[in-house]
Amino acid sequence: MTGIDKAAALAALRDQLGTKIRSGSDLLRVQRAQEIKASTGLDSLNEHLGGGLPKGQLTEIISERGSCGGGGLVMAAMLSRARREQQYVMLFDVGGSFGAESFPPVDLEALLWVGCTSPGESLEALDIASRDENFGLFLLDWRNCQARDWRGIKSSLWYRILGQLREREIPAVLFAAQSVTSVAKRKLQVSVPVRCGNMDEERKVLWEELAFEAFHVAVKEEEQVFERGEAIAS
Amino acid sequence: MGFTNQTQPTGYAVISCPDFKLQAVVRRVHTTSEPVALVDDTQRQSIILCRNEAAMRFGVETGMKTVQALARSPALQIERPSVPAETAASRLLLETALSWVPGIEETEDGMLTLDLSTQREGEWVDSARRLRGRLYDAGLEAVIGLGETPSLARIAAFAARQRGESFWQLVPERRLEMLDGLPLGVAEIGKELQDRLSLWGVPTLGAFARFSREAVAARLGDEGVELWLRLTGQIRRPLRFAKLEELFEAHEDFEHEVCDREPLLFVVNRFLDQLIVRVARTGRAATAVHVLLTFTNGTCHAHRLALPEPLLDHEILFHLVSGHFDALEWKAPVESLRLRFEPSDPVASQRLLFGAGLRNRFQFEDTMKRLRRLVGSERVGSPRRVNTHRPGAFELVPLPSEIEDAPKSGGPPVTGFTLCRFQGRVRTVVQWQSGRPHRIESRLVSGIVIGVAGPWHVGGDWWHLGKQWQRREWDVELVGKGVYRLVESDEECFIEGRYD
Repeated sequence: MTGIDKAAALAALRDQLGTKIRSGSDLLRVQRAQEIKASTGLDSLNEHLGGGLPKGQLTEIISERGSCGGGGLVMAAMLSRARREQQYVMLFDVGGSFGAESFPPVDLEALLWVGCTSPGESLEALDIASRDENFGLFLLDWRNCQARDWRGIKSSLWYRILGQLREREIPAVLFAAQSVTSVAKRKLQVSVPVRCGNMDEERKVLWEELAFEAFHVAVKEEEQVFERGEAIAS
Repeated sequence: MGFTNQTQPTGYAVISCPDFKLQAVVRRVHTTSEPVALVDDTQRQSIILCRNEAAMRFGVETGMKTVQALARSPALQIERPSVPAETAASRLLLETALSWVPGIEETEDGMLTLDLSTQREGEWVDSARRLRGRLYDAGLEAVIGLGETPSLARIAAFAARQRGESFWQLVPERRLEMLDGLPLGVAEIGKELQDRLSLWGVPTLGAFARFSREAVAARLGDEGVELWLRLTGQIRRPLRFAKLEELFEAHEDFEHEVCDREPLLFVVNRFLDQLIVRVARTGRAATAVHVLLTFTNGTCHAHRLALPEPLLDHEILFHLVSGHFDALEWKAPVESLRLRFEPSDPVASQRLLFGAGLRNRFQFEDTMKRLRRLVGSERVGSPRRVNTHRPGAFELVPLPSEIEDAPKSGGPPVTGFTLCRFQGRVRTVVQWQSGRPHRIESRLVSGIVIGVAGPWHVGGDWWHLGKQWQRREWDVELVGKGVYRLVESDEECFIEGRYD
């Protein structure tokens, strides 16, 4: 049988089976639609994430060093949202980048700060904390870290944490200056012009100015896996 | 509209276990059909100290020689007093009684006096009957008397015993009438006074209580007055409440030195089982566990393991104690172990009924413990701003176990970006132009300044000699690199962080 015949036979088989068999991409879309989402407190970010942070998953917010920023603003919005929803948040701060004066005092009431010396230590701490059902959101602040800082981290640690997050359906957000791990379900780059001129603007106004751009690396990989699976199955 | 201040009626209960020494050795001794007697072997001739009703039916009496008693009842089961058994029975009696009210006095062996002021009067009778049932289930037969004073409750308990009832209440409104039915012996008065009153034709306690105080004092002296005051409810002695913290304790002196954790944890497991049952019997839970280890080199280790909320979960308590032992460094083998539960206040907590807070406090405490071990206890906590202008200063407080509703108006609106601080001081070489930064160079960021805000003069602690500080802060915008906080102090210039 030639290649064309094979494709035609496969198409005919699909027609016969109708909707009983769905492609990997279809399954992925269904899975995404069924995902439980946690609102971030930012409409534009929710929109990019398809409704909010996927629970039980890791999301990366990339705030590249340049004339634009916004990672800290996103973090502040998430803290504020979690406080309004009376949820505890744990922040793993690598390198002491946290400043209490950057956040309204009321938003700090539900925040547990964990000061870490390295990304590896923060992941070990997250490994411990992700077994705790008391927290509604985990934030990893790696904005001051370089790629060499997390190079030695074993992927098994990432996957173990991910499993624990899935089990308890807790979302985790990693703030970094560049893409970190393929374990992250979503990767978004945030940008807002940071100028001396807009330093006095209200936080609400700045939140509205935040722009997000999706990194499709993780999604693409996943789709490839599905398509590969589909190909093997067929 | 307000609360009315109603006076809570005072009441006392006396729980008495007849023939307590015998009951301590043989449980439910009075309901068994086998004749049992407790004998005193310390005398030259063994005599019967007390016996049960089955033995009494065979003619066995207290004070009788044991040989004689055995002649009357060959099947008589002879028992000897046991101090450990009496201690265990006393503890059982007290622990069971604690499920009724917290204020309990161990009046004498096998007798407790309970202060019922913490319970509503209407519930006293039901509680007394329930407690008696619980004691019977535990193997102790008790009679309970209720009265308005400890003395009257005691009389009521003896009356119940004398009448063959399990419960008797001396109702204040009908006190004299009820005392009319009680013989003088119920009030535990001396033989001489009893004989004298009998000769005078005073057959009951009610008849005696109807005399005037002066008449009693003139004819019978202090003993008569004391009885009169007891019967009229005018003596109300304060109770010496039992100390609960000494109650829930387990202790073991090891015959052989214990060098490993496993055998110690085995004993801990057994202690926890015992203590949990005992504390549960009182309707309480443990708020803390005290551990005391004594080592062979003469040192000891004492620690109080506080629990985030009262509980009696064996798994959690074992995890707590074993976790503590894991972290402990032993310099010598263990000689003895003492475990004590701190019982909770029985008042139930209604927290978190509607509010939000920690779902699993034990899990949270465990997480905190492990995080502190990983990063250090000074690096875990809920951050709070402190009353200072010192940059980056915040204090860490324990995470609140409940989150209150967020206030509708949270003060002045928050402005600007957040500052992402750099680790340590990033020293910077600054080129100045007209008193303003023109170009900065550092290991992290360098560039030409295209926008400047500031300077802001900040300082503090000038009132502390040698601790005063001051600096000038600038917000500098670099070409294509964002806005940074530049700090100019006495010694140097550095970049504190990046606005993000």
